[in-house]
Amino acid sequence: MSRVLVVWCPDWPLTAVGIEAAVPGAVLERQRIAACTAAARAAGVRRGQRQRDAQRHCPELVLTDRDPDAEGRLFETVAAAVAALTPRVEVLRPGVCAIPARGPARFYGGEEALRMLVQDAVVEAGHDCGVGVADGLFTAELAARAHSTCGVIVPVAGSAEFLAPFPLAVLDRPELADLLLRLGIRSLGEFAALPAPDVLARFGAEGVLAHRLSHGREPRPVAPRAAPHDLSAQQVFDEPAARSDQVVFAAKALADRLHDGLAQEGLTCVRLAVEVEFQDGTISERLWRHDGLLSSLAVAERVRWQLSGRQPAPGAQSAVWGGVSALVLTPDQVVPDTGSQQALWGPGSRGDRGALPEQVARAADRIQAILGHRSVTRPVIVGGRGPGEQVLRVPVGDLPLTERGDGPWPGRLPEPAPAVVPALPVPAAVLDGSGDPVMVSARCAVTAAPAYLDLPRGPRLAVTSWTGPWPCTERWWDPGQARRRARFQLTTPDGAYLVAIEAGRWSVEAVYD
Amino acid sequence: MGALSELQARPAPAAGEDLVPVLPALRTLIPALRPGMVVCVEGPASLGLALLAGAAQDGGWCAAVGIPELGVLAARGMGADPARLLLVDEPGPRWADVVAALTEAVRLILVCLPERPSPTLARRLVATARKNGCVLAVRGDWEGAQLRLRADTAGWDGLGDGHGHLSGRRVRVVTAGRGAAGQGRAAWMWLPGPDGRVTSAEEPPRRLEVVA
Repeated sequence: MSRVLVVWCPDWPLTAVGIEAAVPGAVLERQRIAACTAAARAAGVRRGQRQRDAQRHCPELVLTDRDPDAEGRLFETVAAAVAALTPRVEVLRPGVCAIPARGPARFYGGEEALRMLVQDAVVEAGHDCGVGVADGLFTAELAARAHSTCGVIVPVAGSAEFLAPFPLAVLDRPELADLLLRLGIRSLGEFAALPAPDVLARFGAEGVLAHRLSHGREPRPVAPRAAPHDLSAQQVFDEPAARSDQVVFAAKALADRLHDGLAQEGLTCVRLAVEVEFQDGTISERLWRHDGLLSSLAVAERVRWQLSGRQPAPGAQSAVWGGVSALVLTPDQVVPDTGSQQALWGPGSRGDRGALPEQVARAADRIQAILGHRSVTRPVIVGGRGPGEQVLRVPVGDLPLTERGDGPWPGRLPEPAPAVVPALPVPAAVLDGSGDPVMVSARCAVTAAPAYLDLPRGPRLAVTSWTGPWPCTERWWDPGQARRRARFQLTTPDGAYLVAIEAGRWSVEAVYD
Repeated sequence: MGALSELQARPAPAAGEDLVPVLPALRTLIPALRPGMVVCVEGPASLGLALLAGAAQDGGWCAAVGIPELGVLAARGMGADPARLLLVDEPGPRWADVVAALTEAVRLILVCLPERPSPTLARRLVATARKNGCVLAVRGDWEGAQLRLRADTAGWDGLGDGHGHLSGRRVRVVTAGRGAAGQGRAAWMWLPGPDGRVTSAEEPPRRLEVVA
């Protein structure tokens, strides 16, 4: 039985959407609670509850939809932190990863030392976690969750004893657990005490599997089989390729070979790892989504994007940094090829995510390879009063927000909307005829008519006409976020401005340009 | 009947070529935009948004590069669908790569140039845009742009001395440029009108000034 170390980050689906453990929050999947924070659990929220029930237990619950992509993306930071200590990291699912413990434990001086080291590494990466070591994955994961996110080490051959007090729910087989409960069996220990042949006779193969788990054994006996062929394809450039088109050309041939190899085994891959080794020893590695849909040309194109992401200067358009010495294409997550069928009504009938046309998704991928994930955004209109508050920029590929009904927003600006909305209001000054700042009293009376507008750059502008103040008191029930503002529209000889005064300071919120 | 003759008078777009549409109010100036065309937009930011909204008609995608202060609500008011808009706020020195990547995906790219592109780069971008059926609307200097749009504003309506709210602005849009596209035509329009849309307008009455 092999020793396994498991890193478990509590409530990962919530961490991924940015909800802190101290805030009562939950993520939804098909209108049911998929996961919730410790604060929400304390208030009585449970997994699998309906949204309504959860809100009844905890009215201040923060609810969002589950975002599996964000979970996976964010977990890369945890996996990378663990991989810095030992290279063989297996991500079981976002939130849980495992490493074989025997070798690293010997290297770092014992299992406890390794456990602390891994825990510190993940905490330094910015995430809370529990780390457990035990025989086999199932026990190790429970060990990682034990003692409220601290984790324990289960001694060799101590699995059965460790598992005995756990309830049957940890088997994650609700029907079996329900049946056993009605037969009077409440814990894993009691289940393990049943004779195996009787379990097989009464509960079938599924029951035997669970029975083995409750003993702390692997779910099925280890069945050694021939190691799969190395499916990756690589090319070493004896003379480093100095131009990107050389590399792209080689990539096409490599992709052909890779696809042939996969097709012979009847397989396809979910993702494709492209590794480019440069002459100066640096390696650029990136995973691209494949899903068995990419042609060889499309693979070559992705290699080109990856290279263009590394260009040091815009001047050198085709030169690759110091030359490429090797190119490796590795299929990641190999799965049986079941073929793919376009939806009857074309792509795009698969709901929101498929709504992005192929070319748009490709262009966005390419820009994100150059500038990063947050560089390409799509605007989403949300509720709000000011012109900047009503627009949210969501990176392409992230879950679009669910459209909410546009509630009444008393004090919302009238149409038409301004054409220039700076991300942050620009500080300015509005002066009256004698050069003193214009002020607005608590009863919304203006001290004097605005006569001049001072912008940080440029000359003093004379105000030709004005209107206001339009008071706007927001979130007065929350002292931390309360804002009181009064907005004005001003015209000057060359333009029109939306200005606001807040706590005695003027700023330009938007320009009607 | 008048509307019918107006329809007949409008030059029909050439068949086979995928033209990029413009807003109805602008059609008297530019019937449509040809792929690979570069339009220099000078003057108010709304003019660029009007081109964006025009290209976004009947389901087209648009993009804005290097314009973090773009008024999405104003663009929506003119008829653009925010769901079909891509924004690249900070392209940095790689703006040309970003524009080249976007030409494959969208019909019109509104780009604020950080620098004047070299002739080689400009030619390359135009060729890519033409191949992919995309129009570049640029703010800034572009040598050899086929069309230049300029707008002179006659000021905003609707604001008094402490009352009212901004309701609309009349501008005179003037075209200039090479070839048939630019013959120095001009038209008055509401940019934007009271409902946020762009509509054609009459010439504003001259205000009489007291001189003596």
